[in-house]
Amino acid sequence: MEAALETIGLFKRFGGLLATNDVSLAVERGEIRGLIGPNGAGKTTLVNLVTGVHAPDTGEVKLGGQSLRGRGMHEIARLGLVRSFQVTRLFGNMTVRENLMTSFLARRDREAGDGAGQTEGMIELTRLGPLADTQAKKLSGGQRALLQMACGFVVPANCYVLDEPFAGINPVIKDAIIDMILDVNRRHRATFLVVSHEMAIIRRLCQQVTVMMEGRVAAQGTLDEVARLPEVIAGYLGKALE
Amino acid sequence: MFSTELVVQTVISGVMIGVLYALMALGITFIYSIMRMINWAMGEFYMIGSYLQYALVALLLGPDLWWLAIPISAAGVFAFGLVVQWSLLKPIFRKPPEARDDYATVVTLALLLLLRSLATGLAGPNQFSPGSNLPVVMVGPMPLAGARVAAFVFALGALALFYCLLRYSWYGLALRATSQSRIGVQTAGIDVQGVDRIAFGVGVALAGLAGALLAPVFLVYPTNGLITTVKGFEIVVIGGLGSIPGALIAGVLLGLIESLGAAFIDSAYQNIYGFALVLLILVLRPTGLFGERGREA
Repeated sequence: MEAALETIGLFKRFGGLLATNDVSLAVERGEIRGLIGPNGAGKTTLVNLVTGVHAPDTGEVKLGGQSLRGRGMHEIARLGLVRSFQVTRLFGNMTVRENLMTSFLARRDREAGDGAGQTEGMIELTRLGPLADTQAKKLSGGQRALLQMACGFVVPANCYVLDEPFAGINPVIKDAIIDMILDVNRRHRATFLVVSHEMAIIRRLCQQVTVMMEGRVAAQGTLDEVARLPEVIAGYLGKALE
Repeated sequence: MFSTELVVQTVISGVMIGVLYALMALGITFIYSIMRMINWAMGEFYMIGSYLQYALVALLLGPDLWWLAIPISAAGVFAFGLVVQWSLLKPIFRKPPEARDDYATVVTLALLLLLRSLATGLAGPNQFSPGSNLPVVMVGPMPLAGARVAAFVFALGALALFYCLLRYSWYGLALRATSQSRIGVQTAGIDVQGVDRIAFGVGVALAGLAGALLAPVFLVYPTNGLITTVKGFEIVVIGGLGSIPGALIAGVLLGLIESLGAAFIDSAYQNIYGFALVLLILVLRPTGLFGERGREA
């Protein structure tokens, strides 16, 4: 069967730094894959290569068997790959509702009418109702992260690449985001690649994790399997993975 | 001392010219807020608009159809703006963001010189006037030049249309989103190059519209865009770069100050009053009335 998201031998060099070194991985449709590794291992670079922010020096990314070579960020987004950023990219001067509406800009013809109904549904689901007409820049960090996730989920996509969706967020909002991920995964068989340092959440969400170290794929398996590997323990400076 | 009529007339004429200045400033600020670059050739798009208006009225449509020539002139400048974005500006945006400002400055300054020289080469350094057969309008006891009133009404209509499209249409949402995060809209599946093209076209069309509307008042010649461009930048400094309400309010403010200064202090120094206001704003509020410090990610 064709993998939903596949990278084949990705190399990317920034000056003297080989940020990704022959990274190949394949995520099956409906899988939630964790991507872990110490800081500077190349996780965000990999996310940027997959979503078209950077072009790889060599290698290729395939989404549902289709090559993404030469496609820009917006074309990849239209093919149904949604990403979230480590630092939220919201439209600060626009309201929560308007931020959600932007998700329909490119896709409103195909799926969902004008998006007004889904937008209201998502506002209810995320309990952002009292803030619906507040500018996004006035939200707290956690609320922003939640809104960014909601923007990604309001129009269901095939594939999600989430870069540190849980960093610096209170536990209640963390749970809300986890519920949204599981819900979209179950209902639409959406595929996920989740970068996170939060091992408890990774254990809860992901059957399989990929470990990156110094730009390469160091290991792959269940979290408990990879946590026992000596090279993984060494890469995390001798700390056990918890 | 001063008659009430004189004060009222001065205020009205100040507001009327201020709205026209605001068109220029709005174009500058709009292009900046989407593309994060300054278009230094704004006055040349104004100039093209005025030449188109003159050519249409004098050679093709006749003075009675001046109102039809205005949207055609503005549309012509819009189309030219699309070509400029596609041929000259789009390649710049493939470069890293740090280099864009510099490249855009060089490209638009070169365009300024090219277009001015072309106008001189094609039509000579002469001044043309499309004339105006509009009657003088009486507001109460006060006479107002018909061409100015018409320009004011057209400009108000264009501003209202611009505001409604930006506020209530899907494309307006895409434009507003692009002005706040170019990366963010791409993740929403929007082609920013396409948005840039429309934004640049609309921005320069606002200048072209001002040129067409003011052609009977300020005449048509190769460097006629200079004064209104300077006013446009003054307004942008007063109102705050990137702020649309700032451009409108500061435009009217500048028109008022010039008009009142000319009437009650000395009309020889008309251009000085605006600069004094700019200096005052720079001292008191360096980001302008509505400007924000820095950029949001």
